[in-house]
Order: sequence, then C-alpha cells, then structure tokens
Amino acid sequence: MRTLKVLIALLLLPAWSAHAQETDPPEGTRISGAQVSGVDLDRLSPGLQADIGKLVGAPLNRRQLGDLAARIEAEQPRFVAAIRAVPDSEGGARVVFVVARIREQDQEANINAKYIVEDAEVRGVPDRDLTSQMQSDLQALTGKPLDVEAAERLAEQLRAAFPNYDVTRRMRRGSQAGRLRLIYELRRSEWSRWLRFEPLTPNPSVAYHSDQGWGVFMPVGLSARDTRVMPLFAFGHTDELIDEISGFGIRAESRRLGTERLGMSFEWTNYDADWREPTVTTIATRPELPGLYRNRSTVTPLVRFAITPRVTVAGGVSITELDSLNKDPLTEEALLDVLPSRMANAFVGSVSFVLLSRGEGRRHDLGAAFSVRAGSESLQSDLVYTRYAGSANYLYRWGRQSVLVSAMAGGTSGDAPLFERFTLGDAATLRGWDKYDISPVGGSRMVHLSTEYRNRGLAIFIDSGSAWDRGAERRFRVSAGLGLHTGPFFATVGVPLNTDELRAVFTTGFRFSFNAERAQ
Amino acid sequence: VTVARLSSRQLALVVLTLVGWAAARSAAQAITISRVADAVNVKAPTFTFIKGEPLARLRDGRSVRVDLALAVLPRAGAASVAETRQTFVLSYDLWEERFAAALVGPPARSTAYLTSWAAEAWCVEQLAVPVSALGTLVDRQFWVRISYRILDSDAAAAASTEGGAGYTLQSLIEALSRRRKASEWTNSVEAGPFRLRP
Repeated sequence: MRTLKVLIALLLLPAWSAHAQETDPPEGTRISGAQVSGVDLDRLSPGLQADIGKLVGAPLNRRQLGDLAARIEAEQPRFVAAIRAVPDSEGGARVVFVVARIREQDQEANINAKYIVEDAEVRGVPDRDLTSQMQSDLQALTGKPLDVEAAERLAEQLRAAFPNYDVTRRMRRGSQAGRLRLIYELRRSEWSRWLRFEPLTPNPSVAYHSDQGWGVFMPVGLSARDTRVMPLFAFGHTDELIDEISGFGIRAESRRLGTERLGMSFEWTNYDADWREPTVTTIATRPELPGLYRNRSTVTPLVRFAITPRVTVAGGVSITELDSLNKDPLTEEALLDVLPSRMANAFVGSVSFVLLSRGEGRRHDLGAAFSVRAGSESLQSDLVYTRYAGSANYLYRWGRQSVLVSAMAGGTSGDAPLFERFTLGDAATLRGWDKYDISPVGGSRMVHLSTEYRNRGLAIFIDSGSAWDRGAERRFRVSAGLGLHTGPFFATVGVPLNTDELRAVFTTGFRFSFNAERAQ
Repeated sequence: VTVARLSSRQLALVVLTLVGWAAARSAAQAITISRVADAVNVKAPTFTFIKGEPLARLRDGRSVRVDLALAVLPRAGAASVAETRQTFVLSYDLWEERFAAALVGPPARSTAYLTSWAAEAWCVEQLAVPVSALGTLVDRQFWVRISYRILDSDAAAAASTEGGAGYTLQSLIEALSRRRKASEWTNSVEAGPFRLRP
C-alpha cells in the first residue's frame, strides 16, 4: 500500500513540476497554508513541525523551503521531499512538501543486483552468536541474484542484535565472473569501549610558528583492537614546551587487561634538549629554578581504570633522568665542571571525563581532564615538586559551523623541572604571541581560555591567558586572528591585542589526532 | 638561535597560501551553461562528488543517493529565483568496474558502464531549469549554483532504527561509535555571470 502511495506521489511530481514552471507564485507571496504530504506529520520532530507551521502568514522564500525539505529528508533518510508552492484564489500561496519513500528505487538501482551471490558470511563475531534466523537469512541470500533489500535487512538485524558493533556490508567479486561474495563485517565500536587509548603528550603535529620555526612530533601508529605500539619521533619540537626536543621513544599500550575496564601503558622517551637564547639568558638570572639539561630520558608506566565508559582514572609513575649540560648552549663551548645528572621522579595521577552527543545535525562534544604529578623523595627524586593541571574542551557543531571553547589552568610548587613548567604562545595557545617573549622559562602558574568559531574551514578566534610565576606580576594577554582548517591542515594568523607592538604571528602545519576522544 | 618576527617573506608566504587556496576554489567552480530548446543546462566538469567515503562505499558494492540541485541567482550569493532538484542513485559494477546512475522518479532514466567523471557529468546534465523560470533574468546577467548532498544509506538505516530513542547512554555511545563515518556529504559551487544568447 505504501509503495502504491509512493508511485502515485512520484507520478504526480512531474505533473506538478511542469505546472510549476508556469504558475509558481513569486518570492514574497504570503503563504496561506503549509502541509506535508506522504509522511505522517507526527514522524517529524516537534521543532520541524513548528517551523513548518510558522510558514503560514510568512512571505514565500524558496531557500527557506529548501532548507525545510532538507530537514525532512535528514529526519526521514529513506524519503525524498519535494516542494510545491501553489497559488491560491486570494493571491497567496499554499506550500506542500511532497514526501515519498525512495527505498525501492534505491535498491533496484544497484547494478550489482544482476549478479549471483555465491557466498554470504558474517565476520567479527562467532557463528554461535548469530540467531538461527540470521543464519537462515544468510543462507537465503546465497545462490541467487543479489537481493539488496534483503541484504540490507539482514544488516539492520545485525545492528539491532549487536548494538556495540559497527556493521559494514561489503561485496566483493566471487570466484567466477558474474558472482559476488557478500560480507558483513562487525567491528567493536570505539565508543562502546570502557577505555580509549591514552592521549599523546604533546599533541602530534608538524607545525610552523613564524617566531619559533618548524617542529615535528609524530607517532607512527601500529594498533590492533586492544593494543597499540607507537614509535615516537620528535625533531626540533617546541610546541607546548620550553625545551626544543629532538629524539625518539616508544609507547606500548593495552586497553584490556583481563577486563575492558583495566588497561595499562608503558612509554619510554629519550629527547635531546636545545635551548633558545631567551631561555638561556633568563635562566642565568633565576638561580632558584632547576637548571637547563642536555637530555631527558623518561619511563612512564601507567595503569588505567574506567569507572564508567565516560570517566577514567589513571595512575603510575614517571621516572626521568636529566643529563646536565656539558657545553654552553649558546657558544657550544665545552663546560669544565659538568654536574651529575638529576632525577625527576614523580607519581602520576589523572581523571578524565568525556561526553558526546548529537542529533538533528547538531553535535556536542565535552571533554575534561585533571592531572597531578608529584615528584617525591620516596621515588629517589632529586627534584621534589607538585604539578597539577586541568583542562576542559567543548565543541558545538551545527551544519558546517562550529564553536570550540577550551579552557585550561595549572600550577606547580617546589622544584619543578623546566619540562613541567607552563607555557603559552605557540601554535595552539595565545596565537599571536611568542612564548619566549611571554615567559622564556615558562611559568609556575597558567590560565588560558580560547574561543573559536569555524564556518566551512574558515575560523576566527580569540585567545587569552597568562603564564606567570607565583609572587611575580601577572599579565593577562589577549590575541585574535583568522584561521583556515582543512582536514589535518591548519593555518592561522594571530595578532596580539593588548600591546603597543603591531605584529602578527603566522602558524601552519598539520595536526593529527591519534585519540578518538579528541575533538578536532 | 634567533627569534624572528613576521618578515616580508613570511607575509608573502601567508598571502600566497591564501591566494592559492582561493585560486584552487575558483578553479573548481568552472561551470558552463547552454540553452537547449526551452531549458538552461549546465556542464561542470570539475564538480565532483564521487570521491572519498562515498566512493569507498560504492566500491564495496553499495549504492549511494545523491541529491543534486541547480539554482539560478540574480547575483553571487543571492537567493535563487529558479531552482531544480533531482535525486540519483549511484552504484558501482564490481565486475565491469564502471559506475551506474539512475534518476529517481519518473521519467525513469538510467545509465551504466561509465567512468566516475562520466557518471557525474550525466547526473549534472539531467538538471535543467526552464528558460521561462528565469523571469527577468532571461536577458540579464545571472549566476548559477550547483550543489550536491550524498546520503549514506547504511547510516540512514541506523538512524531510522534509533528514532525517538532520546539521549540514552546507549544511543550516545552508538552515536559516538559512528562519529568518524559522516552520514552526509555536501558541497556547492557557484559561478557567473552568465547571459543567455537570444
């Protein structure tokens, strides 16, 4: 019966269309009535119903009608919506959204329907987990021409039966010409997992900063379902840090240790540190700070536990050896009195939260994290300190537009090594400023807020924040600018606002996300 | 180690990047129009939509739905004065390694054994705006905009089964699990000015 209605609707469409070419009411005509034909109004969202109702009395605007038709199709993906505006006897216009189901045409239009299915199989779950009905349906698909409707119906059954899996239907050539193999691949969905892989620090990127030059921090991901091994490479990377690091490392990670709630990671890194002139000259005037180092080598074992799929806690230790300088970082002359290396060993703990939702073309992503690192004598650490940092990110996306708001704050106390100190003024924070101007040796306190609006890859942003030392003057800096984002590529031009100096900072490069929860 | 300010060379790099990006976008907007009988037809050889994730789905033997729209505008970025929309179903012949396209709804039209660009061109050729719909623009300059929207049938199926579920934890997790698979791909290009030859 439904198919009959569809056919009638589709038969009427061209007649209406042909008629429309001659009698379409002009733009601006007052709309006297608005209705939806072909689908129950109750199947549309209340908001869409209300917006259609608001058309009555409004001037005719075909772009607006097109948007409403697109919303109908978005809410009823198997239907197509056409717009018809009919003049009425009083000089107004009556608007009808003609909605028709397209599934039948869709299925028949697949040219592969002429081929014989020689084999149909489900991958990713054991056969014993399939109901007898599913196995029977699988069998029924084989030995005859491809029935796209039945194949998709089985995919829907699998989706309903295995809600924690992504179900993909694929077809491949069979063993003989004119034959196909039908494959249903079930993969455990990322977000049904209790644990996601641990985010990398710093963020993987190939970034250029007009004041700071190029820097690369790039992992090479070798991941399986529950384990990941990532060789890490850094070349002159200075984003997020005071020291310019070059070196390599490796991270091995498992997110299933007997149970999905428990995971662990092990990371080893060995970075040579280069120091910029402002840092070297400033550190000479700050004897209270732990000194520069030539190399830092760190081992970080961590255990993670998921309290809920959204809340995760992690704990472990970070063992770092800081090799002292053996030559002057500016003149390259050998130093006569090389100090012994120092240890910066810390207990590490963190809690993270992530919440994402989407609906009606809108998407909200919220993530927050808080971490504490405590250098302790009980770990044979030469540097005793505490570092705490919190961050929150919110992304709201609608259509091609999005707003990103991120905030972070942190502090250190005690003898925190330079790699634990906070910096702002790089390719991601206080864009328009140079961190070596703001705080050449970093700060023991930091607060930062960034708001960015994006539309089709073009962005406008405003950053504000401060990195300072406890007891010292705190200067709050603000910058604003424009950006371009296409996939992992980014380019920004940022201008500092509350300064007498007129200057601009250009950043570009590629930023990669190896973490499913990171909102980009 | 030096700390550099934004030099003229770097400024030039910024400008070149922006100009290159703009040029690339404008090059992709090459559209020509022709008058065939009482209709305005378009050709847009650089307007592509069989690419990326939809192409991968086609190569998996699945069909995708493409909504194409052609709009006539009095000036760039303005509201359309005339518009036509058509829906197509594309599929990829796994043995012939060629694309097929079918126009949804009467009059039923379809074609097959095409390369991807030929299939795209065929779809665009099916869009025609009656000359009479141009109104006063018949003897004036006008712009045209072509847009497409591709719907993933699998995501659509999943969405329909979730209808009315609300924001339960389960639906949230499910929504998140499909986050990387955008269910819709859209794009549009605009070009002009054009003028119909009498």
